[in-house]
Amino acid sequence: MKTKILFIAALLGTGMMTTSCSGDFLNQQNTTNLNQDTFFDSDEAVSEATSTLYNYVWNSFNGKLYYSMGDGRSNNITAQWSSYIKVYTNFNETSLSDGLQEGWASLYSVVAQSNNVINNIKYKSSSGVSESAKTQGIAEARFMRGVAYWYLASLWGNVILYENTSSLVNNYVVPTNSRADVMEFSIRDLEYAAKYLPEVSSVAGRVNRYSAFGILSRIYLSMAGLTTDGQYDGKNVATDFNRGIRNTYYLDLARKAAEKVIDGSSFKLMTSYGSLFKIANNNCSEDMFQLQWLKGSTDAIGWGCNQDISSFFGWSTMVSDGTNWGGATCCSWDLFNEYETGDLRKHESVAAYGDSYADINVKGGGYTYGVTESASTNGANIKKYVVGTHDDNGVSYKQSSGINTHMLRLSEVYLNLAEAILGNSESTTDAEALKYFNAVRTRAGLDTKASISYEDLRHERRMEFAFEGLYWYDLVNRAYYKQQEVVNYLNNQNRNRTYKYNSDKGTYVASENAGTGVATATASNLLLPYSDADQNKNSYLKSNSTPAAYSFGAREVDESTLFE
Amino acid sequence: MIKAFWLLFLLCMFPLWTYAQNVTVKGTVGDDGGPLIGATVKVKGSSAGSVTDMDGKYSIQATPKQTLVFSYLGYETKEIVVGTKKVINVNLSQDQKILNEVVVVGYGQMKRSDVTGSVVSVNEKAIQRSVPTSIDQVLQGRAAGVQIQANSGTPGANTSIRIRGINSLNATNQPIFVIDGVVVEPGGVDTSDPLSSNNPLASINPSDIVSMDVLKDASAAAIYGSRASNGVIMITTRRGKVGEATITYDGYVGWQEQAKKLDMMDLKQYATHHNARAENGIVAASSSFVNVDALGDGTDWQEALFRRALMTSHNLSITGGNTSSTYAISGGYLNQDGIAVGSGYKRLTLRGSTDAQIKKWLKGSLDFSLTDSKQVVGANNDIIMNALESQPSVAVKSADGSYDGPDDVWMPVNAIALTNMRENYNKKTNFRANSSLEATIIKGLTFKTEISADYNNNKFYYYEPNYKFGVLSNNTRTGKWTKTDTKYWSWRNILTYINTFNNVHNVNFMIGQEMNHSHWENQASTATGFLSNSVHDISAGDVSSSTGTGTQVDNSLFSYFGRAFYSYADRYLVTATLRRDGSSRFAEGHRWGWFPSAALAWRVSNEPFMKSTTNVIDNLKLRFGYGSTGNQNLSDWAYMSLLASKSTPWGTGVLTANNANPDLKWESTDSYNIGLDLNMFHNRIEFIFDWYYKKTRNLLLQIPLPAYLGSSGNGAASNPWANVGSMRNSGIEMTLNTVNIDKNNFQWRSNIVFSLNRNKVLSLDTNSSSIDKTFQVGSDVSTVTRTTVGHPIGQFWGYKVIGRFEKAEDFYYKDANGNVKTVALPEGSSIAKDKTWIGDYIFEDVNGDGKINNEDETFIGNPLPKFTYGIGNTFTYKGFELTIFISGSYGNDVINYNRRFLEDVRSNSNLLTSASNYAKLGYIDETLTGAAKDDYRNLYVLNASSSILPRLSASSTNANNRMSDLYVEDGSYIRLQNISLGYTLPKNLVRRMKLENVKFYMNLQNVYTWTKYGGFDPEVGSMYGDALMTGLDYGRYPSPRIYTFGLNVSF
Repeated sequence: MKTKILFIAALLGTGMMTTSCSGDFLNQQNTTNLNQDTFFDSDEAVSEATSTLYNYVWNSFNGKLYYSMGDGRSNNITAQWSSYIKVYTNFNETSLSDGLQEGWASLYSVVAQSNNVINNIKYKSSSGVSESAKTQGIAEARFMRGVAYWYLASLWGNVILYENTSSLVNNYVVPTNSRADVMEFSIRDLEYAAKYLPEVSSVAGRVNRYSAFGILSRIYLSMAGLTTDGQYDGKNVATDFNRGIRNTYYLDLARKAAEKVIDGSSFKLMTSYGSLFKIANNNCSEDMFQLQWLKGSTDAIGWGCNQDISSFFGWSTMVSDGTNWGGATCCSWDLFNEYETGDLRKHESVAAYGDSYADINVKGGGYTYGVTESASTNGANIKKYVVGTHDDNGVSYKQSSGINTHMLRLSEVYLNLAEAILGNSESTTDAEALKYFNAVRTRAGLDTKASISYEDLRHERRMEFAFEGLYWYDLVNRAYYKQQEVVNYLNNQNRNRTYKYNSDKGTYVASENAGTGVATATASNLLLPYSDADQNKNSYLKSNSTPAAYSFGAREVDESTLFE
Repeated sequence: MIKAFWLLFLLCMFPLWTYAQNVTVKGTVGDDGGPLIGATVKVKGSSAGSVTDMDGKYSIQATPKQTLVFSYLGYETKEIVVGTKKVINVNLSQDQKILNEVVVVGYGQMKRSDVTGSVVSVNEKAIQRSVPTSIDQVLQGRAAGVQIQANSGTPGANTSIRIRGINSLNATNQPIFVIDGVVVEPGGVDTSDPLSSNNPLASINPSDIVSMDVLKDASAAAIYGSRASNGVIMITTRRGKVGEATITYDGYVGWQEQAKKLDMMDLKQYATHHNARAENGIVAASSSFVNVDALGDGTDWQEALFRRALMTSHNLSITGGNTSSTYAISGGYLNQDGIAVGSGYKRLTLRGSTDAQIKKWLKGSLDFSLTDSKQVVGANNDIIMNALESQPSVAVKSADGSYDGPDDVWMPVNAIALTNMRENYNKKTNFRANSSLEATIIKGLTFKTEISADYNNNKFYYYEPNYKFGVLSNNTRTGKWTKTDTKYWSWRNILTYINTFNNVHNVNFMIGQEMNHSHWENQASTATGFLSNSVHDISAGDVSSSTGTGTQVDNSLFSYFGRAFYSYADRYLVTATLRRDGSSRFAEGHRWGWFPSAALAWRVSNEPFMKSTTNVIDNLKLRFGYGSTGNQNLSDWAYMSLLASKSTPWGTGVLTANNANPDLKWESTDSYNIGLDLNMFHNRIEFIFDWYYKKTRNLLLQIPLPAYLGSSGNGAASNPWANVGSMRNSGIEMTLNTVNIDKNNFQWRSNIVFSLNRNKVLSLDTNSSSIDKTFQVGSDVSTVTRTTVGHPIGQFWGYKVIGRFEKAEDFYYKDANGNVKTVALPEGSSIAKDKTWIGDYIFEDVNGDGKINNEDETFIGNPLPKFTYGIGNTFTYKGFELTIFISGSYGNDVINYNRRFLEDVRSNSNLLTSASNYAKLGYIDETLTGAAKDDYRNLYVLNASSSILPRLSASSTNANNRMSDLYVEDGSYIRLQNISLGYTLPKNLVRRMKLENVKFYMNLQNVYTWTKYGGFDPEVGSMYGDALMTGLDYGRYPSPRIYTFGLNVSF
């Protein structure tokens, strides 16, 4: 009997004891994830938080939107069968089109995560973080956010601006902001970056203040088309899209920003155009901003940090590892014919019949397009970003080629400078403009020009940056003040026309029929529709809603002193 | 011989000698069929006892004044006073008193007659009749209010189990399973796996189960407070019984086959369609299709993928024991090949349980179970879609024996080759142990302490070979191992007091405390650089390219609970429970929740005024209950802002991992239940009726944020969890069990189960006040369901097709004032060949604004059934037993999402034959030329009356295959679920063979389905196990038809 009492008492006792420590029992430790409340305790932590803004957040953008908009929509690419390029080339897009939601989401993942970094640095940093590291970190994140918003404003016009992702999570049904507000937001982000980023990149590939000035020279040119005169004040928005002139205030700033880069930075043109598209030359002297991808197989590095453009452009397993979807993704007939004879850039950008590449199929003694393997029947394939297989370069894997994505090259700043100097004139013979414009042409093996018109600039930009995701934005920028001219141009581009090599004639010949399925572009095609899925979640994204004015705070960076 | 050995074994192990009085009583115990082996004979009021031998004979010492108690499992106990008799032969009759059945309730047991809540039970017989491979299959159509849908037909796959509707918006709507008192977590649904092929219940051998009790209403379930809002299923496994050992073998062999084949195009049809597409500029013409008549049938990819698959199962169990200890041991083996190449399931189970009377006042028990399984999941839903979409022009194998492949990179990879070459399987080991001690402090007052542990070791193996099938190739050989260990332990202390005062006051009080802790850890490693495809272990790869990751998560739950039951004269019964739970998944301050319940029952039939009806009414009970239950199924750390470590070219970086919500709190459900139990005509008729109303508040949901919050893509932070609103479920359930005929050895029993549930969302706190779910296939992202206030959850959402432009007049209509207007076209479209044209669909302009855009999307279907039912009929004649079981669902819609792709007339992949019936255009006036000829006013649809699909357009802004009501189909079905025929050999014959029971049986499962649904199978379940993605059919692995032949022997 005694044992029974003792036994039961002991059991009851332990039962009671455990109940008293229930609070501790419910406290668990997270041993996997860093806590954002405690992580920001050193300058290194800040730079670790910004390092992911060069790759993961841009991954989906890089995978499709970069070229489907930049080159597909501007008819640098003809992709007969690709659901996420063709509809945009043919102006068949709707709110339900393939890739629309993904593209929109990809740019906003940059915005959302940049916001998180900015707010974490601002509000979660301990005393271990220096003030200069904080401003630099914020500047780096604002650089990314500003670039993303420039893309959003250019593609969709009115979009939603926000600076704090977590506050919007509980209240996301908010109106859009006007295109000019978004452009101004983007400018302010990049002006902040231009002021606070370091003079020299802390490590190769990170942006510095001249990267920001370079991007500014691009965005000021956009803003020059969106506004009438003087600094943007919310009211001076241009409403006549065929007025033919741009705001000189921003043309002037674009010139200053470009000059700042040219005079102050250590960026230099590469001597050969082709060397820009080699894995070994990632972060070369000409690249002011590149997306930074990891090298290795996706099985090893995971998804999100892999360069997969090469798989979308690659046309066979001899030129790019793994499955390649680029067989019918070709240089458009229109672009193919615009190359001047002798333009060295064509061979690097487009693989046409007979073009030889010694660094592809190295074991087999090089690769000759159309000879080593049969050529595409839709046109000449895209060579840029196609860098060979693992056997050739020792780096590439399936859907992970290892080459960085060009986002801003010095040659663009040169051309931005020339465009800013040309301003509202028909043509210019300004020595400075000619100097930098011709530097780009000379490298391409072409004659110099003595006078530059808009048409010269348009052509030069298209040739220089073909398949680097820029040409559509050039056209959009022009449409801000010469809309009808651009619409007419779009309708005369021979879109979706296939062509193939004719061995009898020894040249490429276009198909008899015009490209099928091409709708006539109108001014409304200069903007993309909002995706159906997001319209369902926010009625402000319906076509008829008016944007709200964004309340900007005081200007943090004075535009008049920024360029001193 | 074996029997003798066991007897000896038993005698040695459990010596059982009784001490003498002066008389030895002998005799035989039997039933109508002959002697009973192992029946217990006890002297009442003493520990003396005996067990009948192989001939049913016993011998026992007793005084003439003592009473002998004869008992046998499943028979009514008989008591006989010894008196002067030296020989007492007893004939026991089978126990018909189902009212004295014991029902397992939370932390205890109750007589069924005492139960005040709504509890439905499924017994061993029902389990045996349905020959299940997993226990969840048994409940389908057999328990009112329980809806079961297999999410996939893959062997070992998960099912959606919904008790009284969908209670919760988040992914895990599964009830909790309590196996012999131990809660088994349903396990996180693997959201990366659309089939949810990971089913924790698959690890339990159905033949170890004696009964399942489903606690449906909150008054019954609230004792499991924190986790009970989706209902509780109590599982009782076999335990030892006093008596001679019984050894049972149960085994079957069977095969499975594809129950339905889709009508896909053969090569001729495909080539014809391809040529038509080429003419319309959709695709380049193919030289191989010039002479269609010369072509053969090509490859039938369904034929290649699906096969007749074998399955076998063997189970052996041994139970026995004496008055001081009992035991049960069982082992099982299941080997099931899947009907799709590269799928299959193997399972080995071993379990044992012992109960011991350690001291007079102390009982102890120890149970363990071990399961080892292997599931091959090569045929996932990608593979099934691959096979359907593969062109018939591609061979499975080329003439040289190598695998063939398409010449178009956009076409699917050779499904057969991939399932054969790719390694994709998982191995799971589960070890569960449970031990308890129960002390009787004073009469009626017991204290029980119980410790349970559950270990899972899950390993996933994957190897992707290098290959080249046509133009599709892979150069990198990759191996991947993922290892996930979970460890779960709990400790309960329960004090119970049961007593009866003055013969009329019955009390049953219980108070307890419990702590649960679970630990999850995961390691994954990947390697590339394998030198050949012959060895796959990670170490065979290149170390320099290998990577490894690992994560651990812990969570804990602390609870107090109590229950009070009181009944007066078996007439008035009342039960009240209270539980308080704390969970580590919430931030401090939001951790604790209260979960009370109360229930009343009135046994009208026991009232004195009902005396006169006792011949008619055996039992009439009215039940009223209320209870509150909770739900904490959300991600750990959802309340905290975390950073994820990410590799960058400059070393490790961090990215915000989630959008946190520190204010998260318990989701809770209040429910009300009114029930009626009626048994009549000596239990020939049993009728159970329940009405319930449930309201769930603070619904937990991971909010699907819009894309402009950076919610998707590789760099996105995961969406936040939130308490988003409230929802209601109400419904009725009826069960009718009848014995229709019972004479001349012929018996016909029926059981009918009917469940009806209505769901409605009452409020949502999100600003958009609706929750949209999108589904992505390739680059196409479409909204598929919407959940919004005033409607049931997860309603199909999309456009409505109201017709087709078949002639020019169709573009115009006259409004009320007689003005001619243009029919609404998609925004940005106009009447043009590349936009909207003759042969395109007309969508309904829901808001009447003259254009078709996002605002014209509307509710287009309801995946929730109006009601579900099950009808079982069992016929027995002597040893024969025939069961025919029908289950059905009425009024639910299914999205046949496959058809968006398999009936897309413009697609290059293989299509359903119905796709060849697209709108063909003809000229009204053939003589016109040029633009006038091709003007839409000169065009019409030639086959307008016989076709419904749109035209073949090179491009179109009309988006004909957008998500619309065209893809919504009626998912109602009546399924002949089971036909089972069993024959039990006569007892006297069997006993002559020294056996106890011999039964042969055959079973046909999923025999035939009557449905209008055009896909493989109308029973679709939930995509990703997500309640908001119910009824979405995309490449679902079809449920097979199964034939089995089995044998059951016990001795």
